[in-house]
Amino acid sequence: MKLISKPEKISKDHYLLKIQYQGSDPIPGQFVSIKVNEGTDPLLRRPFSIFDYSENELKIVFKVAGKATSILQNSALPENTDISGPYGKGFTPLENSKVLLIGGGVGNAPLHYLSNKLRKTGCNVTYIYGSRSAEYIYCRDDFHKCSDSTYYMTDDGTDGEKGFVSEKLSQLIKKEFFDFAYICGPSPMMKLCADILKAQNINGEVSLENYFGCGIGICSGCTVKTVNGNRRACIDGPVFNINEILL
Amino acid sequence: MKKEIKIGKLKLKNPVSLASGTCAYGEELNGIYDLSSLGCIFTKGLSLNPRAGNEGNRIVETDSGILNSIGLENVGLESFIKNKIPYLTENSITYVPNAAGHSIEDNIEICERLSEIDSVRAVELNVSCPNVKAGGMAFGQNVKVLEKFLKQLRPRMSASLIVKLSPNVTDITEFAKCAEACGADAVSAVNTLQGMRIDIKTGKPYFNNTFAGLSGPAIKPVALRLVYQIYQSVKIPVIGLGGIKDTGDAIEFMMAGASAVQIGTMNLVYPETGRIISEGIDSYMKENKIEDINDIIGLTHRLKGEL
Ligand SMILES: Cc1cc2nc3c(=O)[nH]c(=O)nc-3n(C[C@H](O)[C@H](O)[C@H](O)COP(=O)(O)OP(=O)(O)OC[C@H]3O[C@@H](n4cnc5c(N)ncnc54)[C@H](O)[C@@H]3O)c2cc1C
Ligand SMILES: Cc1cc2nc3c(=O)[nH]c(=O)nc-3n(C[C@H](O)[C@H](O)[C@H](O)COP(=O)(O)O)c2cc1C
Ligand code: FES
Repeated sequence: MKLISKPEKISKDHYLLKIQYQGSDPIPGQFVSIKVNEGTDPLLRRPFSIFDYSENELKIVFKVAGKATSILQNSALPENTDISGPYGKGFTPLENSKVLLIGGGVGNAPLHYLSNKLRKTGCNVTYIYGSRSAEYIYCRDDFHKCSDSTYYMTDDGTDGEKGFVSEKLSQLIKKEFFDFAYICGPSPMMKLCADILKAQNINGEVSLENYFGCGIGICSGCTVKTVNGNRRACIDGPVFNINEILL
Repeated sequence: MKKEIKIGKLKLKNPVSLASGTCAYGEELNGIYDLSSLGCIFTKGLSLNPRAGNEGNRIVETDSGILNSIGLENVGLESFIKNKIPYLTENSITYVPNAAGHSIEDNIEICERLSEIDSVRAVELNVSCPNVKAGGMAFGQNVKVLEKFLKQLRPRMSASLIVKLSPNVTDITEFAKCAEACGADAVSAVNTLQGMRIDIKTGKPYFNNTFAGLSGPAIKPVALRLVYQIYQSVKIPVIGLGGIKDTGDAIEFMMAGASAVQIGTMNLVYPETGRIISEGIDSYMKENKIEDINDIIGLTHRLKGEL
């Protein structure tokens, strides 16, 4: 796999990357693993969820967070970028169901691809998009297009409503029935949402974004706890059922 | 070209192997390339009972290296024998289990049981893990403790014994000599260097255990020097590791005295590093018209007079 274009800025600190990809359709929730340069610093590959896929082209969205993503952001020589994958176990695909998608920050990325797929299989998608503030929200139109109803929640009220995604979740499930929920975002947000869903007996899945050493199951650096014991987030996940994972 | 290496009862078809804890039990990497093409793999550190590993952060990148505090998460001896060995033997992968029990008694039991298994020709004894409270490095940082331990262990196991040394000591050669005197068939060096990281937002250590193990290219010069010193002090073979990332690094370790090398951290970054280095050594030997791998091993020591 290789980069097709230079990173495109899509909101404050967020960039879109296009990657040439030949292979079977990736499953929403799967990730690619990127070594951003040759040499040993930064050393490890970095995991990024698949934001979109069509005709031999994968897209990812990354947020500038540190060493590797800063290099990616300025990558003038895309040929030096080494990309492998897709890896991991993705979200469970549903058909003809009413589903709720909840994303926080850059964690909205995998839900975008998921939402497109779910719409194609006859699902009715309600989307809650959470962000710190309006300037960080990316691809707003795309998210709007790939869901039946969309709610934006910002910490400062600069877009949509002021408040947390979990507050919107609590409101919605009081009024409407949902078959299933999919969540991706910061850990505290996922825990809060999963607890609310479990209390209402709504089933769902989360996609974890913890620290990966290898991304292929050989180092046990990404271990998470589940009701069935330890699991490696990179190959047993990153998607886990909310009733299985101990957040 | 002669590239076979013999370490006690263990026969390696070439000097390249994978380090314990960086290739799990072989299953994942064997899906990427044929691990039977390597000398061998050293499987994840084993305890008598399954271990869940450490809580909290487990890995973080440093400049050209990583700090890890996995805490020996492993399936335990029984499950290793029942569920992991069959896969390795069916795929003709030469493997060396890594014993990392809590106590002397546990380690004796692990080595004794493993010795009964046909395909286990050698066991690597991990007396150098910095990430567990009991066992691990505690055995490998005091020569008297190590001596007492090895004297009890050696007569009880029939497989060859490879003692994996800790770099976190004042003079590693004392430990290598102790291992040799107690009947070890080889030593491997080195395990991770103890290091730490502090979260500057909170002032607290990044790892729950405060300290963690540093590995990767950052430690290579130190590891190379230690292998060089060990080679001068013992007659048993030395298996060299620490930060090896390419063929050049592997050859350097062999010139310093390593009979074989292990690839660790770089498996995480480029899973095919083992295969690439093993092929790279072939090309190096051809290009330099080296017929026998033994001509490289310890070469730097033989050239000392020519400085
Ligand atoms: C399955 C998965 C999917 C992800 N998807 C996306 C995505 O679609 N878009 C996106 O922007 N980010 C995503 N992330 C997070 C992303 O991998 C990190 O932000 C990135 O690795 C940061 O690298 P850095 O060198 O820029 O930052 P660093 O300087 O290394 O550190 C900044 C922060 O990033 C985190 N981080 C650093 N290295 C890793 C690593 N190897 N694995 C996980 N986290 C790390 C650390 O928690 C740290 O606090 C995902 C993570 C996982 C595990
Ligand atoms: C994630 C990880 C897990 C490790 N687990 C073990 C282990 O179980 N037993 C052991 O003897 N060494 C273990 N080590 C140490 C390595 O085998 C090796 O000695 C060390 O990393 C130095 O080599 P390197 O720089 O090539 O990685 C581990 C290292 C890492 C990075
Ligand atoms: S990141 Fe190495 S096992 Fe998951």
